[in-house]
Amino acid sequence: MKLDLVHDIQTAYRKTLASMSRPGLIKNLRDQADKVAMEIGCFNSTLVLALMLFDTEVTFKICSEHEAEMAKLINQLTYAKATELESADYILILHDSKPGDLEEAFQIARSGDLLDPHKGATLIIETDVVSNERNLTLKGPGIEKENYMDVTLNGQWVDWREEKNSEYPLGIDLIFTDREDNILCLPRTTQIIKQVVG
Amino acid sequence: MKIEYNFAFFDEGSKREIRRATLKAIAIPGYQVPFASREMPIARGWGTGGLQLTLSLVGKEDILKVIDQGSDESVNAVNIKKLIALTTGIVVTDETTEATIIQSRHRIPETPLQEDQILVLQVPIPEPLRYYEPSEYETKKLHAEHEYSGAWLMLFEQIVNYGAMSTGADHPVMVHSRYVMAPSPIPRFDNPKLNQNKALILLGAGREKKVYAVPPYTKVASLDFADYPFRVETFQDKCCRLCGAKDVFLDELLNDITGEALYQCNDTSYCLQRMNGISKE
Repeated sequence: MKLDLVHDIQTAYRKTLASMSRPGLIKNLRDQADKVAMEIGCFNSTLVLALMLFDTEVTFKICSEHEAEMAKLINQLTYAKATELESADYILILHDSKPGDLEEAFQIARSGDLLDPHKGATLIIETDVVSNERNLTLKGPGIEKENYMDVTLNGQWVDWREEKNSEYPLGIDLIFTDREDNILCLPRTTQIIKQVVG
Repeated sequence: MKIEYNFAFFDEGSKREIRRATLKAIAIPGYQVPFASREMPIARGWGTGGLQLTLSLVGKEDILKVIDQGSDESVNAVNIKKLIALTTGIVVTDETTEATIIQSRHRIPETPLQEDQILVLQVPIPEPLRYYEPSEYETKKLHAEHEYSGAWLMLFEQIVNYGAMSTGADHPVMVHSRYVMAPSPIPRFDNPKLNQNKALILLGAGREKKVYAVPPYTKVASLDFADYPFRVETFQDKCCRLCGAKDVFLDELLNDITGEALYQCNDTSYCLQRMNGISKE
């Protein structure tokens, strides 16, 4: 069945909205992602997010081995414009990105300014597994007491993020997607505490 | 001629614009995110911001409730409900607990909201600093610099003039200890409900082209002073004349002839539910 650009995208949006407003809440986009009927170089759930959010108003940057092809494809599908890291509204860090790409994205991504903090970039990061394992503790708006999360990424991303988001309200927001089409969002307000192995 | 509108009236491009703004609004609680507000088939200032948010959210499975000053059946609520129902085919309800999306003008329902609900508030003037600073650029700068002395001064002047803070509605709040936010013209009675609410609260101002949000479990404090603490409207010794409810927001109705004041629940669905409950017992 083909992805319904009205109803499937609406369902995916509501899941993303729930996940963004309750950091640590994992939502699954499998039902929508499975309907993406094409072979592409990113997770289907990542493409669903792009179709949900991208249009001519949006600029994006792709970090991937196949950057040129993917950028062309996303542009053809959404009319969004590919640009460089420092000016992109959305940065897609795909599973086949180079090891240094994530750190570079965290450092260079636009974090908005005090007049327009909403211009901070959104990073969409593909990982193998997103889970609620108690590796990282989350606190902040949207969380009643605390939530837990884990992603299969170089653990230093927590420090890079903390550095980037140190001057709230400036900062970047993250959306993780995984191979099972799970998504987990971390707005800039969420504080991450690493578990100390005792 | 019958026009076939897109699902939820909007074209998908408009929904994307509002959705992008909404996600950023949640990431920066209380900050007003500008968005390309659309022309709507109702007049600006009549809930177009709330309506646009609702249309960007709504799906086939949703159950919608729309209230206007606590009433499910006033003109604004009825027309907004009709527009949404006709362009989506979804079910509408009066019951607060049944609804998945609640669009409201000037009230937060008496029945506590749940985690799976979204409250959409219609906002006429989203800028809490507009009262003393007419320039949008200047108020943006004040927010940027966390410079809110004007907001405090406004309340201070009220205390000097009247001996108490006299905000009838729209009493400014501090969200997540960073942004001063206009909670929309809800009575002070509803301000404490914003704090640590279980539901996501989205606020939309169509004419002013702003969207902002209070995520669930977010600290929202009404502005006040140590010696003049924030107080909600009191209805001491009064109860609803229909259902007998106390500790709810009551409307005062004056009898022109006798001059007698009557009180009844402002939230009509809450009142009706209580009356139905009482009559069943």
